[in-house]
Amino acid sequence: MKLLAWLGRKVGGALVVLWLVATAIFIGVRLIPGDPAEAIMGGPGSQASAEALANARSEYGLDLPIVSQYFLFLAKLIRLDFGTSYSFKDPVLQIMGEVLPPTINLALMALAVAWLLALLLALLAMRANKFGQLLGNAVEIVAAAVPHFWLGAVLIMLFSSMLGWLPAVANGTAAGLVLPVLTLALPLAGFLTQLMRDSLNTAMGSQFALAARARGESRLTVFRRHGLRHAALPALGLTGWAFSSLLSGAVVVEAIFARPGLGRSLLSAVLARDIPMVTGIALFSALVYIVVMALTEAIERLIDPAGAES
Amino acid sequence: MSRTAKILSLLFIAFWVLTAFVPALIAPADPLAINPSQAFQAPSGAHIFGTDESGRDVFTRVIHGAGDSLYIGLAATALGMGLALVLGTAAALAPRWLDEVILRVLEALYSVPSLLMALLIIAFTGPGVGPAIVAVGLSTAPGYARLVRSQIRTLKNSEMLEAATVLGRGTWRKVRNHLVPNALQPLLALVTLGIGQAVIWAAALSFLGLGTPPPAPEWGAMLSAGRTYLHLAWWLSFFPGLAIVVVAAGATLIGRALGGKVKAI
Amino acid sequence: MNPLLAVENLCVSFAGQHAVDAVSFELNAGECLALVGESGSGKSVTARSLLGLSGGRVSAEKLVVCQEDALTLTEPAWQKIRGSSVVMILQDALMALDPLRPVGREIEDVLKEHGTLNRAARSTKVLEALASVDLPDPERRMKQRSTQLSGGMRQRVLIAQALIGDPQIVIADEATTALDSRLAALVLKQLAALKDEGRAVLMISHDLAQVAQLADRIAVMRSGKIVESGTTEQILNHPQHEYTRTLLRAIPSGVPRFAPLSTKAITSEPRQLPPTDPDATPALVVENLSKSFSRHPAVIEAGFVLPRGSTLGLVGESGSGKTTTARMILGLERPDAGSVTLLGERFAPHGEAARRNLRENIGAIYQNPLGSFDPRYSVGQILTDALSAGRSKRGSGYKDQVARLLEQVELDPDLSGRNPRELSGGQRQRLAIARALAPEPQVLVLDEPVSALDVSIQATVLDLLDRLQQETETSYLFISHDLSVIEHMSDLVAVMYQGRIVEQGSTAEVFGDPQHEYTRSLLTAMPRLR
Repeated sequence: MKLLAWLGRKVGGALVVLWLVATAIFIGVRLIPGDPAEAIMGGPGSQASAEALANARSEYGLDLPIVSQYFLFLAKLIRLDFGTSYSFKDPVLQIMGEVLPPTINLALMALAVAWLLALLLALLAMRANKFGQLLGNAVEIVAAAVPHFWLGAVLIMLFSSMLGWLPAVANGTAAGLVLPVLTLALPLAGFLTQLMRDSLNTAMGSQFALAARARGESRLTVFRRHGLRHAALPALGLTGWAFSSLLSGAVVVEAIFARPGLGRSLLSAVLARDIPMVTGIALFSALVYIVVMALTEAIERLIDPAGAES
Repeated sequence: MSRTAKILSLLFIAFWVLTAFVPALIAPADPLAINPSQAFQAPSGAHIFGTDESGRDVFTRVIHGAGDSLYIGLAATALGMGLALVLGTAAALAPRWLDEVILRVLEALYSVPSLLMALLIIAFTGPGVGPAIVAVGLSTAPGYARLVRSQIRTLKNSEMLEAATVLGRGTWRKVRNHLVPNALQPLLALVTLGIGQAVIWAAALSFLGLGTPPPAPEWGAMLSAGRTYLHLAWWLSFFPGLAIVVVAAGATLIGRALGGKVKAI
Repeated sequence: MNPLLAVENLCVSFAGQHAVDAVSFELNAGECLALVGESGSGKSVTARSLLGLSGGRVSAEKLVVCQEDALTLTEPAWQKIRGSSVVMILQDALMALDPLRPVGREIEDVLKEHGTLNRAARSTKVLEALASVDLPDPERRMKQRSTQLSGGMRQRVLIAQALIGDPQIVIADEATTALDSRLAALVLKQLAALKDEGRAVLMISHDLAQVAQLADRIAVMRSGKIVESGTTEQILNHPQHEYTRTLLRAIPSGVPRFAPLSTKAITSEPRQLPPTDPDATPALVVENLSKSFSRHPAVIEAGFVLPRGSTLGLVGESGSGKTTTARMILGLERPDAGSVTLLGERFAPHGEAARRNLRENIGAIYQNPLGSFDPRYSVGQILTDALSAGRSKRGSGYKDQVARLLEQVELDPDLSGRNPRELSGGQRQRLAIARALAPEPQVLVLDEPVSALDVSIQATVLDLLDRLQQETETSYLFISHDLSVIEHMSDLVAVMYQGRIVEQGSTAEVFGDPQHEYTRSLLTAMPRLR
């Protein structure tokens, strides 16, 4: 019963958020000066054909009073009808279906790599001496401050131009994935390590860690049985946000490495001021955030059912 | 913050302020001066950052680009932080129902990550410097607002304020004597961290062609332009990017030293 | 018979500083030795070095633990004897158990590290261990986290965990410190049982009164050294060292009202307060006070009267509702029902603006004062702010008054420029008292004012409070869980249990002839020295 209630709350919350985003977009479009049909299709002074404009007018009911337009708009969204993309000339939903998988793929892999790296670094940091700690600190801060576009360029420079180990552009092979994934994963790993190190230090210095040692456990065992969970918890809490920011970073990474995906599509949609496409992507990313947040909350509950560490 | 740290931070800030306002002091040459015979020179004594495809000195361009690159970042932070302060403080001090409403709105905005949000805004406004400022400012505001709210709430419920109540202090005096002064330092830390992030986002927008138009020596744009020549002349992209990293990392360090252990922006 | 524990000239240092200096003692099976000292005495470090967990540089002429030469033990060898031959019971059960793991697992860990039982056998043993400490419903409880258990249950889990390895030496590090007296008595009983079973018990504590009930021998530590040791009888009745005498004198148990606890008391002979005028308006009248949080009742129909110039002790265990009551009296929480009358005027429930004028008549002292100070203010500024009703914090016009306040609470006037962070616990509490006294209130609410202080410092602060009361005739509402402190400090007593006041009356009545069952159980658990 509690599970159903929780699910119900999550779904309700999701609908509210999506509704807010959709409304914001609706208002945003109507704020653009000039002909709304043009605004939707390429912005003021767009090159859209008269036919396309007429289509847009009828599809969005632009001759109707504004309240009706709003409800028409919402009704279309509920039916998952995002309209036709101005720049790609295909239904938005169809295009999104094509470009989503590679981006999600990339983001998931980067998330996994970032987590693994962060855990490893946190473990190493635990055993490091004073100098090592300082160095670790510096590396973390820099890693988290490095922008994706620079890191990508540097990695290409190093591993592609100078060493020739890995390709600089997507070529469909696994090797072509390495640099893009690393570019996304490293800054996130830097950020996660900072978090994990903090909570790991607190956990390993706490009374229960001492009690565990007093039971005869080695430091490594204490880390495994106690430290790990405590270190992972705050990082887990931020995974929702982290995944979203990975999608965000994908925009830049796909641009650098010339990979097809959501990011690239969004970029061209923005440049072309293709509102239907933009609407679809905006709602989608909001949905992703909500889903990931719900998932991480569920996992957190599993690890910490009593809510002891919140 | 220790004395050495204070001095280093001030020097760091002073250097960049100088670079932004009087770049000629550090790099007297003309950033736009074309010299085709000198194109694609690797870093050397004469050109410590090398030259680009038109023979322009990269070092000079990086220094002169500081103003453009930092301007968007700072303006965006001012906008974003301003909004965040208003919303966050309102949420923290408001009655329960208003707090809930603002929180929901912030949550909705927060669900779209910063760069995506910035791009969405530019889809409506079109590219350019002004839109870039608005885009970065608005997209970072929700995250900061949540942090501001949490800071002020902690202070509001603190024992310090309770003790003041018991001593008979009125609301105005409590806010003036205790709440505001104690909120300033963590907020300052937040702003500093925010500037670091904003510089990165602004450069990202220019990198994608949505910010400062060429041929301005803005770092993001330079990095983007240099991509085509990455195999030939790595220094074209490397040094502008390095400048961004230095500013962002420096701001982060200073922000953390001021007391910001910020969870997520 | 060889002693289970033989320590000779143990020294432990951290970065060149000695935390433990030339400490020597022995412990035999079936015996209980208590290491008693205040914070910084080195007692905890000593205990940890007996498990190889001190974290510092250890050197000794002799360190024998369970027939093993501990000085030559490698880390793996230490791990073998930790948890099996030697165990340590830590202070706070809430902190000593990992909140993210089921408590059953924490206990099972001991078996995993020592012995070769399979999972099913381990499970059975854990259940047995929990049953042996009288934990109700062990199958369900062992799957729960420590935060889901009550204080008493957590304590039992800790003990089960210590005993499951069948240790020869049990080290109890401040095992009763964070506990309410009834729970502490329970723990002492179990430790006594361990002693009877032939194990050796080493008790680390700052509470001389409590250890005296169990220990055969006592060693008093100060600044890393043992200043005196002997049998319990010798130490309690014929203390030789000055420090031991100070510690004994500081214990409030059985000390009459206004008799000084420390040697620094300014009044050397106990004086009585002038008898209270029965017709005078009482300082505080609390009637039928009730408060619930999310349908959980915290305070239920609490009522008492605090006459002018006297002290009412409100005693109860944690969770009894005493702090909520105090907060309602101070106007920080709005009561759901009932009223608080301060000096004849209605104080709660009341609009804040209307009662602000009355606030100068009532002040508060908390257990940990540091959080109540604005971190940006120095000692002098805190007092100036208090004297000027918040209008100024730097005013030079207040210099004399600040100096007088500092003198009144026996604080060095040179401390005026320091930040409270730099002061010791005792000094901070004096500062809090000075601040509370600045508006010259008629009533002071003191919520566990000395619970976080070392015994000898506690004594000086209690004496200070007595002296101030005699000088200013302030009325005190003194809240504590420590019965001996309440007995010493109060004229009237009210006992709180689960939100209700179950008994109240004069100190002599309540302590001499308790009526309610709960009061009786509290008094039975109270350690008595005199």
